Amino acid sequence: MAQFADNLINQITATRSISAVHSVFKTFIKEGHENVFTAMLSNGQDPVVYLSQDVANHTLGLLFLLSSRIHAHNTAPLPPWQVVSQFCAQFSPEQARLVPERVTKLAKGIQRYAQQSGNPALAVTPLQHLIQRYPPDLSYLTTIHSIFLMTCVTTRNFTPALPILAVPITNIDLSLSPDLTYQDNLIYHYTGGIALAALKKWSEAEEYFEICVTSPGNHPAALQFEALKKLRLVQIISKGEVGQLPKYTSSHLIRLFRNSVYAQFLKHYPQNQTALRELVAKEKAVFASEKNLGLINQAIARAPRWVLKKLTATYVTLHLSDIAKRVGIESEDEVRGMLLSMIESGELTAHISSSNTVTFTDPPPSFTKAEVDDVLRKAQDQARLMSLLDAEVGRSKEFLNKVSKGHDNWGPSGPGGIGMGMDEDVYQPASMGWADETMFS
Amino acid sequence: MDIDRSDDYMQPPAQASKPIIAVVDDAHPFDLEGYISNYTGRTAIDRLLHVMHICPGIAAEAYQLCLQHIHQSRDPSLYSLLFQTYEAASGTPGVTLPPMSELSQLDTKWVDETVAKNQADRTKLEVELKTYTNNMIKESIRMAHRDLGDHYRATGDFGTSLKHYTKSREFCTTSQHVLDMCMSILELLIEQRNYSHLTTYVFKADAALDAASAAAANSNAPVQGGTAPTVTATANQKKKSADREVVQAKLDLASALAQFGASNYEKAAHAFLKIGSAKELGDWTTKLVSPGDIAIYGTLCALATFSRATIKSKILENSVFGVYVEQEPYVRELLEAYMNSNFKVVLELLNRYSTRHYIDVHLSPHVNELTTLIRNSAVVLYFKPFATIKLDRMSAAFGWTVAETEGHIVNLIQSGAIQGRVDSENKILHAKKTDYRGELFARAIKTGSDIQATNRKLLLRMKLQQADLIVKAPKGQQGGGSLTDASHSMFMVGE
Repeated sequence: MAQFADNLINQITATRSISAVHSVFKTFIKEGHENVFTAMLSNGQDPVVYLSQDVANHTLGLLFLLSSRIHAHNTAPLPPWQVVSQFCAQFSPEQARLVPERVTKLAKGIQRYAQQSGNPALAVTPLQHLIQRYPPDLSYLTTIHSIFLMTCVTTRNFTPALPILAVPITNIDLSLSPDLTYQDNLIYHYTGGIALAALKKWSEAEEYFEICVTSPGNHPAALQFEALKKLRLVQIISKGEVGQLPKYTSSHLIRLFRNSVYAQFLKHYPQNQTALRELVAKEKAVFASEKNLGLINQAIARAPRWVLKKLTATYVTLHLSDIAKRVGIESEDEVRGMLLSMIESGELTAHISSSNTVTFTDPPPSFTKAEVDDVLRKAQDQARLMSLLDAEVGRSKEFLNKVSKGHDNWGPSGPGGIGMGMDEDVYQPASMGWADETMFS
Repeated sequence: MDIDRSDDYMQPPAQASKPIIAVVDDAHPFDLEGYISNYTGRTAIDRLLHVMHICPGIAAEAYQLCLQHIHQSRDPSLYSLLFQTYEAASGTPGVTLPPMSELSQLDTKWVDETVAKNQADRTKLEVELKTYTNNMIKESIRMAHRDLGDHYRATGDFGTSLKHYTKSREFCTTSQHVLDMCMSILELLIEQRNYSHLTTYVFKADAALDAASAAAANSNAPVQGGTAPTVTATANQKKKSADREVVQAKLDLASALAQFGASNYEKAAHAFLKIGSAKELGDWTTKLVSPGDIAIYGTLCALATFSRATIKSKILENSVFGVYVEQEPYVRELLEAYMNSNFKVVLELLNRYSTRHYIDVHLSPHVNELTTLIRNSAVVLYFKPFATIKLDRMSAAFGWTVAETEGHIVNLIQSGAIQGRVDSENKILHAKKTDYRGELFARAIKTGSDIQATNRKLLLRMKLQQADLIVKAPKGQQGGGSLTDASHSMFMVGE
C-alpha cells in the first residue's frame, strides 16, 4: 500500500500537467484503489503534509487526498488541521473546479472534523476561505454555502458570514456544484436570514427569508413555512407592519400561515399589547419550540414605538402623558426614554419642550447629488444587465424552441414557417422593446 | 331554488348586537298614529311590533293599534307574538306599562272563527290543486299554487307560501306569469326583510319583463301592414310601456332595498333616487313602504355617501324624488341644512328624528352607521377650505365639546379621510403640507431600489428553475416540467 502511495506522490510531483494528474487519480478510482489516498508514504511521512509545501501547484492532488482522508474514519489518522486550513487559504480555484464533488466532500469533512475535535467553530474560517476562493465570484451558489452558514449559525458565529451574505446569490452554475439541491438553496437563505436577524440587520434578513419562502416549487417545504414565520416577525420588528409577498408565493404556504398562531399575533400587532402578551403567555411553548420566542419578545418590546410612530401622523403636538396613555406605557420617563432613542436612531423627528409637550416635525427629505448619482448609476447597471440577460434568453435554445412552437399558427404556414422564425431576427426588435419597457415601468 | 327562511325574521337585526331603546319625548317627537296610518296589512303589524321592541315607552299605544290591525288580518298566531312582544317590552327596565289585562280583551271568538275559516279555505284550495294536478291543466295548476301561496301568506306561513309561489313557476306559460310570480315573491321577501334573496328575483323579474315586452312587440309586428294598424300598435306599445314602468318602479324599489339591506349605501342611494313616482308603485306604497320612507332612506344614504355636487344634481334637481321628500318635511330641512353647510342643524335633526329612524323596520339596523357616515362627511367637508382651524371653532359649528371634536377628527385622520394633523396642546387642526418634490424624489429612489431587489430575486428564481432546483414533494414525484417553468419565469422578469 505504501508503495502505491509513493508511486502516486511521485507521479503528482513529477508531472506539471494538471490533466495528467487528474487522469492518474481517475485511474486509481476506476481500479478501485481509492484506499491508496489515505495511506502513508513508505518512509512514514504523511503525504498531505508533504504536498502542502506547495498548495497552489498540488491543489488537485491535495484535494483528492484530503477529502478522502478526512472521511476515512478509523482506517487512517485525520490530516493535520493546520494542513486543512492552509489548503483552504491557498488552493488554486482553477484546479479545484475540475473536481467539484471533491470540494463538497472536503467541505462536509471540515465540518465533521471540527465537530469531532470538540470545537465546531473551528470550521468557520477554512470554510469561509473555501467559499471566497472556489467560485468565480460570490454571486454563485455552491454546496459549500449551506454548510458554511449552518456552521456559523449553529456555533453562533454570525459576523464571519457577513462578507458572504453581503453579495446576494444571483448565479447558479451546476458545473461548479453538480450535486447542488434545492435544499442547499433553502438552507443557505434560511440560515442566512437567521444570521442577519441575529445581527439585527433586519432589511437584509427580510430579503433572505423572502427568497427562501418564495423559492420555486410545487410543494412548500417545511423550511419555507418556518422562514415565512420568521419573515413576518422580522417585518413587524423592523417596519411595524407586514409587507406584501410576491405574487409567486405558494398559496398553500399563505393558507398554512393564516391558520397559525403567528397570524393571530400579527392581528393584534401593535395596538393591542395586552392581547399580544396574553397570546404569548398562552402559546409560549409553541413559540419557544419553534425558536421564535426571541423575535416575538423583540417585536413586543418594539410595539409601543410603532404606536407612537402612528401618532406622529395624526398629531403635531402631544403631551407626554397623552402619549403614555395611548402607547400603553405607565411612566412618562419611560416614554421620554423611548422617544429620545427613536429620535436618536432617526425613526422620527420631534422635540420635547420643558413643559413636557412633544412637537413632531416632518423630516425634510434630503438627497445629496452623490446619492442621486449613485441611484442613477445603479439603475443604469441594472438596465445593462437586463438587456444582456434579455439577449441571452433571446438566443437560448429553450426560448427559440418555445417561440417557434408557440407561433406555429401565426407564422407563414408550411414547412418553412418554423425555419424562418428561427433564422431571421423577426422577434428580436420586439423582445428588445419589451425589455426597455420593463426598465422604466 | 334555495329557500332559506330565517325563523327569527320578527326579531329586528339590531336586537342581536345591542338593544336600541328609543325614547319619545319633547326632544324626540313621534306620532305613532300618524306614522302607522301610512301602512296597511301585514307591514303595519310588523312595524307596530317593532315599535314595541324598540320603543317600550309607547308600547301600550302600539298594542292597541296592533290589535285592531290583527283583527283585520287572518293570522291568529299573531296574537301570541303580540303578547310576547308586549311582555318583553314591559320587562324593559325603567318602563312601566299597564298590565295586559287592563288593555282590551282578546277576542277569542274571532280567533276561533278565523282558524276555522282558514282551515276551510285551505282544504278547499288544496282539493282544487289536487283536482287540477290530476287533470293536468297547466294554467289552473299555476293559479291554484298562486292562490295557495296567497292564502299561506295571509295566514302567516311564509315558508309554505314561498314554496307554493316558487312551485307555480313550473306551470307558467307566458313571461307575464313569471313576472307575476316574481312580484309576489318580492313582496313576500320585502315583508320578511330577506334582503339577500331580493336581487335574484329582481333579475328574474327583469328578464321576464324584457321577454314580456318582446312578446308584445312580436304579436304586434304581423299586423303592421297599413297606417291604421300602426297607430293601434303604438297605442298598445304605450300601454305596455306604462305597465312596464309600473313594474320597473317596483323592481327599482326592491333592488334599492336589497342594496340597503346589504349596507351598500351608495348603490342603495342611486337605486332609491331612480324609483319612479309614488303612483307607479301602486299598492306597495301602503303594503310595504310609505313614500316618506323612500325619502328618508334615499336621503340618508345619499348624505352618507354622495359628494355635495352629486347631492345637488341627483336630489335637489330630481323632481320625482322631490315629491317623496315633500312627504317628510324634515328631510327637506335636513337636505337644506347640509347643502348650506349648517352641520350643527344636520346633526340636531338627525338626533331629533332618531326615534322615527329607529322604529323603521328597514332603517333601524343602519341608523347608527348612517349617522356616523353623515357626521364624518360633514366634518371632512367643513375642514376642506381651511389650512388651520381652532378646534373650539369647529366644535361650536358642530355643537360638540372640544374633546369630542378632537376624538372625531383623530379617527378621521387615522382612517385617511382628513389630510391633517392635530396640535393637541393648542387645540388646532393643521392641514398637511406636502413637499411634493421631496416626496417624488423619495418615492422614485425607493421604487428604484425596490425594483432592483425584485429583479434580483426574480433572476435567482429563474436560475433556480433553469437548474431544476425546485422544491419537490417528499415522495419525489416530479415530472420534467422544468423547461416550461423556466420560460414562465422569463416572462415574469418582464412583468
